[in-house]
Amino acid sequence: MKTSLRMIAALIMAGLPVTAQEVPGVTDDSISIGVMGPFSGNASSYSKAQVGMMAYYDKVNAEGGVHGRKLVAIPEDTACDPSKGLAAAKKLIYQDKVFMLHGNSCSGVAVALRPMIEEAGLPWLVAHAVSDSITLPLARNIFHGLPTGSANGRAMAQFVLSKPDTTRVAIIEHSNDWAHSYSNPAREYLAENGVTPVAELTMERGQTDATAQVLKLREEKPDFIIAAIYEAETAIFLRDLDKYGMGDIPVMGTAGTDLENTLKRVGDFEAVKNYYVIHSYVDNLDGPKLQPVRDILAEYAPDEELSTFSFVSIGSAKALVAALEAAGPDLTREKLISAMESIENFETGVLSEPITWSATDHQGVKGSAVAGFVDGKPTVLRAWNTPY
Amino acid sequence: MLMQLTISGISQGAIYALIALSLTVVYRSTTIVNFGHGDFVMAGAFLSYVLVVLLGVAFIPAAMLAVVAMFLLGLAFSRGLIRPIRGGPHIGFALMCISAGYVFRGIARIVWGREVLPMPRVFEIEPIFIGDLIITGDAVFIISITAIMLVVFFGVLALTDIGKMVQAVYQSARGAQLIGINVDRFNDFTWGIGAALGAIGGILIAPISLLHPDLGASFLIKGFAAMTLGGFGSLYGAVLGALILGLSEQYAGAYINSALIDITAYLVIVLVLFLRPHGLFGRKTVVKV
Amino acid sequence: MMPTASQLRLRTILFWAVPLLLLALPLSTNSYVQFIANSIVIFSLVALGFNFVIGNLGQLAFANTALFGLGAYGSAILVNTFGLPWILSIPLAGLAGAAGGFLASAAALRGIRLYYLAIITLAFGELMRWLYVHGKSVTGGTDGMGVPAQSIFGVSLTDDHAKFYVFLVVAVLLFKSTLNLLRSRIGRSVMAVRENEVATASLGIPTARIIVFAFMWSGFVVGCAGALFALHTSYVFPESFGMLHLIVSFAMVLVGGLGSVIGSVLGAAALTILPEYLRSFPGMEELFFGLIVIAVLLALPDGLASLLRKLSPIFVERYYRE
Repeated sequence: MKTSLRMIAALIMAGLPVTAQEVPGVTDDSISIGVMGPFSGNASSYSKAQVGMMAYYDKVNAEGGVHGRKLVAIPEDTACDPSKGLAAAKKLIYQDKVFMLHGNSCSGVAVALRPMIEEAGLPWLVAHAVSDSITLPLARNIFHGLPTGSANGRAMAQFVLSKPDTTRVAIIEHSNDWAHSYSNPAREYLAENGVTPVAELTMERGQTDATAQVLKLREEKPDFIIAAIYEAETAIFLRDLDKYGMGDIPVMGTAGTDLENTLKRVGDFEAVKNYYVIHSYVDNLDGPKLQPVRDILAEYAPDEELSTFSFVSIGSAKALVAALEAAGPDLTREKLISAMESIENFETGVLSEPITWSATDHQGVKGSAVAGFVDGKPTVLRAWNTPY
Repeated sequence: MLMQLTISGISQGAIYALIALSLTVVYRSTTIVNFGHGDFVMAGAFLSYVLVVLLGVAFIPAAMLAVVAMFLLGLAFSRGLIRPIRGGPHIGFALMCISAGYVFRGIARIVWGREVLPMPRVFEIEPIFIGDLIITGDAVFIISITAIMLVVFFGVLALTDIGKMVQAVYQSARGAQLIGINVDRFNDFTWGIGAALGAIGGILIAPISLLHPDLGASFLIKGFAAMTLGGFGSLYGAVLGALILGLSEQYAGAYINSALIDITAYLVIVLVLFLRPHGLFGRKTVVKV
Repeated sequence: MMPTASQLRLRTILFWAVPLLLLALPLSTNSYVQFIANSIVIFSLVALGFNFVIGNLGQLAFANTALFGLGAYGSAILVNTFGLPWILSIPLAGLAGAAGGFLASAAALRGIRLYYLAIITLAFGELMRWLYVHGKSVTGGTDGMGVPAQSIFGVSLTDDHAKFYVFLVVAVLLFKSTLNLLRSRIGRSVMAVRENEVATASLGIPTARIIVFAFMWSGFVVGCAGALFALHTSYVFPESFGMLHLIVSFAMVLVGGLGSVIGSVLGAAALTILPEYLRSFPGMEELFFGLIVIAVLLALPDGLASLLRKLSPIFVERYYRE
């Protein structure tokens, strides 16, 4: 008797449609999204990316949300530390039971989280961290919504070689995963084009002086220097280059800095005029094409001082919202993943290249533009002396 | 290149000298090593930033105000947080210093949010060119200010009454007490001096490096290495050790491998303590049973 | 106030009863809470090992983080490069830690004391970290080393709940051994050296050997904890073994109670749970951490363990009979 009752119950349950309550993080009027970022600690300026995307969520919510559901961001601090990041991720997944994850600025943390998140299976859209090993090899639920280190590294090397008569290239970098995620693909690209670096130098985080490195470079006389170092160290390096009379050598930086901030830090245009950065956007940060984004940030994050980081995650946020719309009101994690994999040539209006995901490739953005000072103004460039 | 590296090494070494000296001043009278000193240095730099950028005070008065403020802070720290735990385990002091440093760092981070702040260029001193050699404006500024500070410091120590009192306490705290010197208040005073000297170091480095709350961490180790090399507790040794450290970092970084700059300080510590624990000028403090 | 005989019996019962009760913990937690609980177990061991040297032996040696890293990397390398099952790597990681402790003790043996010792062991730790970063072929460099999924006797160890059982057993074993050591002749010699090295030597006790032993035992405990940590985070990074970790473990020892075995657990629990509660105030953690530690240092110079001692004589840790 009991067995047959159980069987009837099971049959009934199997026949019922999946209700929203059974999908973690989804209710009738909300979708919870775990947003991890370095809100404290020495990488905390990177969390502008998370602030930017949460501002975008607020805008979407103000316009009614997605299929009547508001996007509820649950921020958690990783402090750019793998152990803390692990605790943050576990809290979001197992305690807060979020629907998905979107965010992360620190590659070191993201790489450490990958096995655990892959196992947990919920969708994870990486918005700022660039390391390729987060999405390679392919994991069903993990996506990159911005150019990765390899895309950026190759773009850097490509720009360097686009300057005529460039044969002597030097590389200076931090000895960490972030720097290598740029410099190794750059080296590959250079090698493919028959160029071997004439000097490979290290500058550690926290160093306040680059004299030794600059003097070594002075001996090697490079045509172009590739610098995979963070904001603070970049300012110091550029200043030291200028001090020792090498300010005419162009320097190619990463996506970890932007021209305006670097100029502000160095305080001297002469030292910065030959500095180029990866600029993954369609326009200058204060250019007309990015006005809509600036409006959103001004309205929903008014106290935030903008930098390049504030914009970088908006592209992935837009793509995510589009995928959530496409997945329909009967939202499940599976459906979202399928919807994301159907995104093709999605123009974000922010990133310089469109986003394309497929079932075999979750690295959505394959290229990047470069920005440099042209006539004293930051300008987006496609190649040496070639505006976008 | 050698001369260029030497100038740079002396300039770096000058900053380390201020930090090592400030650590030693406190150590000599209290036998406490301020493990949070890096953050005291950072606090001095931040105070001057607040005064210059947010309150519009001119640089020199701002710097002086910041130094005085840090002096008072050091005094208060000694009075309020060190004296009460004097009876506890010696190791407790180390943690108290670290925790105070954390409080400074925490306040800096909250107030300045998530930004990295540029300190505006103070003086535009033109670099001096001697042949192939470039002596940068920064180097001139740092080396000259530090040299002046050191001359004043050692001058006061050797020539004035206060200086003689300091020497008395350094040589024998008990003896000093016997002749009526209030050692407790003296210790507060030395904490103040230590904090003030550290603040000067921070103010000098601020325009060059960028201001962020974690500024102090790396300087602490350099200070330790300088003290170890010069001999723990020796004031002259701290300065000399700091200069040698600054030079070694530059030479090792340029001639051997730029990856070494970061760990030169640690290597110095390990080598010195193994080969000659009392450094160059320290007293023999080896305990053999 | 010393515990009476019946209180001592109660203490023994408690020592075994608490872990037995904890066996039921995984049944009521989600993975996040379990992860935190696992962290507490591991850091109790870290604090225990650290306490042995700075509390029971009384030497200001800050090599703890270096030894922890040796154990973690040792375990990760054994599992990855040599294919050893993780569970077997635990004692080997402990031995690696002990070897590191031996190296660290060399400084103490040369007569280096107090702040010199603190600084040289600190430098030793940072040099180890530099090695992890630059020894890329062996350690994976800054990319870190992953620890692949493990299982014992067919039971999978990927879940935090499953890991807890192994961690608990290892912790109980190491705690019991340490307590036994402290109550034994060796332990009393260790503490005698702390009180007065010269007097102890004059009694004919080989103080040099005692010092080396204490460092090595501390290294063994912390090395084993390192192996547990490698599985706990499934990834070993150089950054995990830097100054920040040293400061936190130092704070755990002092907040819990210098020289107190139960203090190690209390300090680890307090300073693991605290940051999680402070999650609601990002950016305020350093400030709160500093203020709380200062408060504890001022109000409870003998740590949280002293509070327990006031509650009941059961918690008095004297290792000799009066």
